[in-house]
Amino acid sequence: MVLGLTGMQTHAAEIRVLNWKGYGTDEQFAIDAFAKKTGNTVVHDYFTSEQEMLTKLRTNPGAYDVVLVNSAFSKQARDEGLIDRIDTKDMPNVADLSPNMAKNPDIAPGGVFYGVPWVWGVTSLGVNKDSVNPLPDSIAVLWDPKYKGKVGLRDDGTEAIQICALATGQNINDVRDLDAVKAKLKSLMSQIKTLWSSENDWNQFFAAGDFTVSTYWSGGAGRSISKGLPLAYIVPKEGAVGWLDTLSIPTASKNKDAARAFINWMIDPAFYVPWAAKGSPVSANAKAAAALPDTNFNRVTLGDPAVVARVQFVQPLSEDTKKKYLEIWQEAKTAQ
Amino acid sequence: MSLLRTLAIAGRVYVGLILLFLYVPILVMATMSFNQSEYYQLPVHFTLDWYRALAKDSEIVDAAALSLGLAIATTVLASTIGTAAAIALFRYDFPGKSVLQALLFPPIAIPWLIIGISMLIFCFWVGLGRGTPAVLLGHVALALPYVIVVVGARLRTFDATLEDAARSLGANTWQVTRHVTLPWIASGIVAGGLFAFAVSFDQFVVSYFLARPGDATLPVVIYTAIRKGFTPEINAISTIIIVISMTIMLLASRYFKFGGER
Amino acid sequence: MLAPAYLWLTAAIFLPLSAMLFFSFVTKPPIGLAEWHLTFGNYDEFFLHPLYPYLLGRSLLMSAVVTGLCAVIGYPCAFVLAKVIKGRAREALFLLIILPFWSNGLVRVFSWAIVLRGNGVIAYILKSVLPFEVPFDVMFSVPAIVIGLVHAYLPYVVLSSYLALQAIDDSLIEAARSLGAPARTILWRLVLPLSLPGLVAGAILTFVPVTGSFMEPRILGGRNGTFYGTVIEDQFTAVYNWPLGAALSFILLAVVLGILGLAAPLLRRAQ
Repeated sequence: MVLGLTGMQTHAAEIRVLNWKGYGTDEQFAIDAFAKKTGNTVVHDYFTSEQEMLTKLRTNPGAYDVVLVNSAFSKQARDEGLIDRIDTKDMPNVADLSPNMAKNPDIAPGGVFYGVPWVWGVTSLGVNKDSVNPLPDSIAVLWDPKYKGKVGLRDDGTEAIQICALATGQNINDVRDLDAVKAKLKSLMSQIKTLWSSENDWNQFFAAGDFTVSTYWSGGAGRSISKGLPLAYIVPKEGAVGWLDTLSIPTASKNKDAARAFINWMIDPAFYVPWAAKGSPVSANAKAAAALPDTNFNRVTLGDPAVVARVQFVQPLSEDTKKKYLEIWQEAKTAQ
Repeated sequence: MSLLRTLAIAGRVYVGLILLFLYVPILVMATMSFNQSEYYQLPVHFTLDWYRALAKDSEIVDAAALSLGLAIATTVLASTIGTAAAIALFRYDFPGKSVLQALLFPPIAIPWLIIGISMLIFCFWVGLGRGTPAVLLGHVALALPYVIVVVGARLRTFDATLEDAARSLGANTWQVTRHVTLPWIASGIVAGGLFAFAVSFDQFVVSYFLARPGDATLPVVIYTAIRKGFTPEINAISTIIIVISMTIMLLASRYFKFGGER
Repeated sequence: MLAPAYLWLTAAIFLPLSAMLFFSFVTKPPIGLAEWHLTFGNYDEFFLHPLYPYLLGRSLLMSAVVTGLCAVIGYPCAFVLAKVIKGRAREALFLLIILPFWSNGLVRVFSWAIVLRGNGVIAYILKSVLPFEVPFDVMFSVPAIVIGLVHAYLPYVVLSSYLALQAIDDSLIEAARSLGAPARTILWRLVLPLSLPGLVAGAILTFVPVTGSFMEPRILGGRNGTFYGTVIEDQFTAVYNWPLGAALSFILLAVVLGILGLAAPLLRRAQ
């Protein structure tokens, strides 16, 4: 495991990482291995929504050294001066990143990295394989009257609109026919049993039989399946919502060398493969992803290039669009 | 059997039912802490696994200790200055008094999320760093209105002429307060203190935004864990806390008589 | 004597809140590189979109129901505790009522979810006890939210009423009874008015926060869980629209204070 040039000064630093709780960077084995190799310790702080991540960055300059920034928020963070360019020449694993992700203009405009692609996944269909037979291949199953009152949906306006966009054959990042989406959304609301907003919610509702068909994250699906839930995860023919999480370095960080070493470790196969065994999204490092055993959930669900081609990755949305989507969503929820 | 006696028995049954209602979630939480199913499925299969996991999880235990310390500090501070304020509001009439009373409402009316974020902004602009002092500042501020309102309500049943009588007998203000007013409102102060403790111990938003990274309180650990998976370890620690609190309280009620026999 | 409390509140709450008040009059939060100007636009939003007044009304109504239930359920309980039960048992019960307060709010709400849902505790008990099928699933509905909120705020009313009731001199009641007053009169014209401050304080401590609550509605209400508090929360956690969130909160504060102001003469008369 290569962690930096021999010429690099490494006096032990404490780096502070801002991320979702339980999302890879705080795996104890990873932190221990990092400390052993570099002498740097890792302390975590968490957020519970992307907006809160931005709030913490804006109001705490210098408090964090590594932050998880979803690719759809990377441009905003960059424009506000919150994250800095990352010099990747002493990060050997960067060379192994999947080319389409490394060249993503949202996170690496002009080839300059502002966020290192870390893991990606999709939000797609999860169905209870004990109650749904045969397994559906179309997103229209969410609207199937057979499952009225048994559908789950995430409590996120933007995502709800994106799902309806997929169902009406539109580009999720450029919705032209908003009226069609609104109509779809309205009819979807009468199908759902409840809205979920965390993996914990989802698992409990699914296990209790509250819903049999739902949207769900691929990383969570892998974990739920490995814990024994009767879940079948499907990427329907209309496609799925794809997302890419990146690791960035806040502009005011004082430990950028150590931060870069940590990010390099996070995309290293020696970290990824053990983590993926417990259930994780797909690594952006092609070599790491290829190192997964064939039975790994990510391999099975997202290993086929034809499937990946159907995935539409989320791009940044303007603040005004987000506000409009939120209004539509709140109205849809209230108008029942 | 007289009507009064029947009513008295009915009354006791009623209180019993209410206690049952209040303890439903507590009992569920305790039961689930011993249940094997990670997703809280019934029927219950007994296990001590979650308690074992808890013993190894220093993050939760540290967070619980921090929360406890903060809550005790908050209770002491809020009770003292809150009671002083309540007595002053009760005793003296002055222009602007109703404004001051109205000012007690924003902290309880405005969702704590707003208050947390505004404190965050304020600390950011003023340059006050994040950390436990800032968190304590917030906790006490949020607990104060409760103490003032509760002690104030108790004060309203207090006969102010008693204070006048004592004073006319030559006692100074401090003596009046200490020997006449305080004993009367002692139960109000204790109740206010208990509310303050609850407010602080369960306070999420202020701690979330103002605590130093790495210094999480128990509610923060619980809320952030919710995103990725809320293991029954949390039920385990909650159960432990309730059991300890119950023991302390029952012991306290054995040895301290507050509320008194009247 | 007043100074420490109000100084503390000023530093910790009023000054920050005035920052928020300022925010409610700008177009974008004035942090970092943002360009912003003053505007009434955020307050206008409330009146322009029927969604917001509707949700405020819905929250106020729910809050009134929850407060009413807490008062009706809690006051008799406090009465029994203060007047009927004597001795050590009384103190122990008083403390037992406070104890659930100290459990974490989120854990409590999820525990209610486990109890109320289909396949939950109540459904399970019914299934084991009754010979016929009774479908039971109260989750994701307004009643579920009300149950969760009443549970969380009942102790406020009980304790506050208890403190006031317990202050009533027993000899007053004895005197009234020896003068031949029937129990109903004693209750209505003696006990209730004397303990009203306690009941009112508890009701206020319930009504005010419940109007802006968002945790119970979101978790227990599911698709029916959109209330004014959840909409405010969204402005901070789903989008970066703090000005609107701030404006909506101050409107909430104004409305609540208005309601309390209207009720004040009523309360003063009762004292």
